[in-house]
Amino acid sequence: MPPVDLRSFPFTAVLGMDDAKRAMQCMLVSPNIRTVMIRGGQGSAKTVLARSAGAISGRRIINVPVNASEEQIFGGMDIDATIKEGKAVMQPGLLSRADGNIVYVDDVNLMDQRILMSLLNAVIEGRVVLEREGISAEYTVDTMLVATMNPSDSDVSSHVLDRFDLCAYASFPTEEAERAEILRRNADFQRDPAAFKELYREEEESLKSNIERACKLLPLVSMSDDLIGVSVELAVRVLADGYRGDIVMVNTAKALAALNGRDEVMKKDVEEAAMLCLAHRRNYVQEPPPEPPQPPEEEEQEEEDPPEDDQQDQQEEQEQSEPPEQDQEDQQTPPPDMDFQQLLDDMVFEIGEQFRVIDYLNDGVRKVSKTSAKKGRRMMVESSDSSGRYARSRIPEGRTHDIAFDATVRAAAPYQRSRDHSDLRINIQKQDVREKVREMRAGCTILFLVDASGSLGVRKRMAAVKGAVLSMLRDSYVKRDRIGMMAFRRDSAELVLPPTRSVEYSYKKLEEMPTGGKTPLAEALVTVNDYMTSYSRAHVGEMCYIVLITDGRANVALNEGANPNEEVLKMAEDMAIPQVKWVVIDASSGFIRFDNAEKLAEALQGTYFRLDDLNADRLAESVRAVIQ
Amino acid sequence: MEKLLFPFVSIVGQEDMKKALLLNMVDPGIGGALIKGEKGTAKSTTVRSLAQVLPYRDAVEGCVFNCDPTRPDRLCPYCAEKLARGEKLPSVSVQMRVVELPLSATEDRVAGTLDIEHVLKTGEKKFEPGVLAQANGNLLYVDEVNLLDDHIVDLLLDSAAMGVNYIEREGVSFSHPSRFILVGTMNPEEGELRPQLLDRFGLSVEVKGDKDLDMRMEVVKRRVAFDADPAKYTAACKAETDAMRERVTKAREILPTVETDDSIIKAIVTITTSFGIDGHRADITMMKAAKANAALDGRTAVTKDDIRAVAALVLSHRMRRRPFEEAAFDTEELERCLQSI
Repeated sequence: MPPVDLRSFPFTAVLGMDDAKRAMQCMLVSPNIRTVMIRGGQGSAKTVLARSAGAISGRRIINVPVNASEEQIFGGMDIDATIKEGKAVMQPGLLSRADGNIVYVDDVNLMDQRILMSLLNAVIEGRVVLEREGISAEYTVDTMLVATMNPSDSDVSSHVLDRFDLCAYASFPTEEAERAEILRRNADFQRDPAAFKELYREEEESLKSNIERACKLLPLVSMSDDLIGVSVELAVRVLADGYRGDIVMVNTAKALAALNGRDEVMKKDVEEAAMLCLAHRRNYVQEPPPEPPQPPEEEEQEEEDPPEDDQQDQQEEQEQSEPPEQDQEDQQTPPPDMDFQQLLDDMVFEIGEQFRVIDYLNDGVRKVSKTSAKKGRRMMVESSDSSGRYARSRIPEGRTHDIAFDATVRAAAPYQRSRDHSDLRINIQKQDVREKVREMRAGCTILFLVDASGSLGVRKRMAAVKGAVLSMLRDSYVKRDRIGMMAFRRDSAELVLPPTRSVEYSYKKLEEMPTGGKTPLAEALVTVNDYMTSYSRAHVGEMCYIVLITDGRANVALNEGANPNEEVLKMAEDMAIPQVKWVVIDASSGFIRFDNAEKLAEALQGTYFRLDDLNADRLAESVRAVIQ
Repeated sequence: MEKLLFPFVSIVGQEDMKKALLLNMVDPGIGGALIKGEKGTAKSTTVRSLAQVLPYRDAVEGCVFNCDPTRPDRLCPYCAEKLARGEKLPSVSVQMRVVELPLSATEDRVAGTLDIEHVLKTGEKKFEPGVLAQANGNLLYVDEVNLLDDHIVDLLLDSAAMGVNYIEREGVSFSHPSRFILVGTMNPEEGELRPQLLDRFGLSVEVKGDKDLDMRMEVVKRRVAFDADPAKYTAACKAETDAMRERVTKAREILPTVETDDSIIKAIVTITTSFGIDGHRADITMMKAAKANAALDGRTAVTKDDIRAVAALVLSHRMRRRPFEEAAFDTEELERCLQSI
């Protein structure tokens, strides 16, 4: 048993964080659960908890810093030994020390994604294959990994997230009494760590032996086919990609049963397992919305007469504002005797509820169809000048000014014995020289194209839209993106805010933005096309997103006599602005759902979300809802 | 101890992926396979476990490049020299391997390194072989192939095109055979593949997770049973694994005798023309794949069914499409073409 580490807080003294604690115990019990992620805001004790796993498992915590290089993690050349021996000698990396221990990565979202992927694969497969700079090696490593991150600065891609067997969301206690207790324990620990640890020694010991018992019990735990069926069905219901979620859910349910001293999995184990296994694998689309029940006459009318503005407009509003009785949530339906036009013209809605948004620009989250595969993450690009982060090295073609000294020395090391050293410590020759490959984060511009027409005025939908826009603006600000805003209503689209990095300014503009009138969607597409085409020409290499927030129900045609909706879809299909990707956010609401916005997203080859799906915190709720 | 891999023969479904891999085992000339698909669909598992059913082949004993002694035109400089001196090349039977190219690999370890100082001092070439040398006669597997560095991709492309790895440093050059079956797996969400690399792959497959509950249940149960006792599970699959390897070996033996008549050639050309495919690579690959498919079935005559079985694998990544458009393979069109012959 390792000596008591005075720096680490006792696991059992951490208050709350039940999900995270459960996840870590499952990992310690089951050899098939290797990777755990704990997500949470600043100061939610996630790091403290992660580090406290040593004492209850008898394992050491091996810290992998986010900026660790591939050599440091997986192993690389031992330069001293290589120079002495005249042939490449390997120096083991952090991972070989992690054998039998626990790897810990803090702020895992800031780690180079490729290195992180290699690290996760090595932990999951228990094997490292190394082919780097004169070193060719393969070794096995039996370890587990705990990673923590704060999702408010940036997130890992869904691809990486899927490699985490379990994911727990650390929540901050809101109860005053609980906060006070945390503070008290913290102060006690700071004052006298040894005494504090002594206080929890018994609890720690008992947890440790419970984990040991569970390890022995685990091979005997059985799970009925019914419950395996439930696990599989849950994974399908949340639209998890692939089979990892299903498999790990069975393993987790078994580990939970073992931790509870049972040799049979119960339904409640599956429920707890679902929270840990599925929340981060969930996809955001539900079944396609039911076909809108449209009376046939109306359809005909839509085809024959081009909409006579007001009348049609009004008619549409009426449709929307007369939800069936079941729609109890909305109490905002205006009384029938009110003049709609009066109600809808030029109202300024306050900004509605704001929330933490999901990574809506990331592809992994949701695909409209298989057509939208060609989207990037918020990207790293190779930089051609000497700015950016030194990511790796390569053999230069011709001359280079950006020498990677470490790689150059490593390349020269095996030959030092045979080279002439008259005045030199290390004799470096031309063929040893390696240059740096640098990477930098590509700039990103997001233009919000907001539908401010009357149809969004009903039932305070506009307030919700504004809330969502502001939430996304905030998110972009955190990620240092440039943001702009264009609004369309009546018969034109107006650039409310040219792309900027100032969030304050955009708040004002958003707050003042009026709502009312018809929906000139085609006009908006023309305007945004002109604007963004010249914008992207002026900002070569910059990734641009247009986030279109609308219910997709156009009622002003560009060409006289055209059907506005068909016209819009046609234009959308032909739209090809360089470096631009589309995100369509469906702002329609109510019981009857129209698929206009979804069709539009498809035509634009863009990603599609419903406004209500943007709220990241609603995720856990929906998983719970699925379980019910 | 080497960690056991999930048995290839026990993988549920994913028939296209398995077929694409097996066809390549029968005829390495098909040009490898690209496996695209969503995360967690057993892509890597399948490729890695393929090692269990790989056939045996001849190699020169002690040669680091695993030269094929039956092909004097494809020897490394050392074997060629021996042969020129009138020495015999001792032959051993070795099982084909899955050689993995890790994403973090550096150029020197991929292509190998030439010790220039040794050349200058002794006039003799000294070469430290890299992954491309190990890969000769084997299967070269790149996981997350779309994330591979461009300059490593270039090295792969050069070797894949010529079957030879050339190393040129400071005016000294060295070359050795590097014929391998290139297999890549990727999740397209993380970015697309460079077109030059895409073209290199003979076959391509798109894999999806099955939404059928019973099927998924089976996947989960098998995986959990394997994890509980890998050795026992593997032992239970041994007979089936051996049978599969035997089938591939037999297919390789009869492949040279597999015949195609004119109607098959006509069918292939009709299909590639109708699908608007440029170049001859698709035609040749489809012919090879159809032959391999027949051989895998133990037949020596290619039928329309063989074409039916391989057409999508050959064509789906070669069809012209508008940007963004992920054209689905049109099976009805294929049927029309086959009926018209």
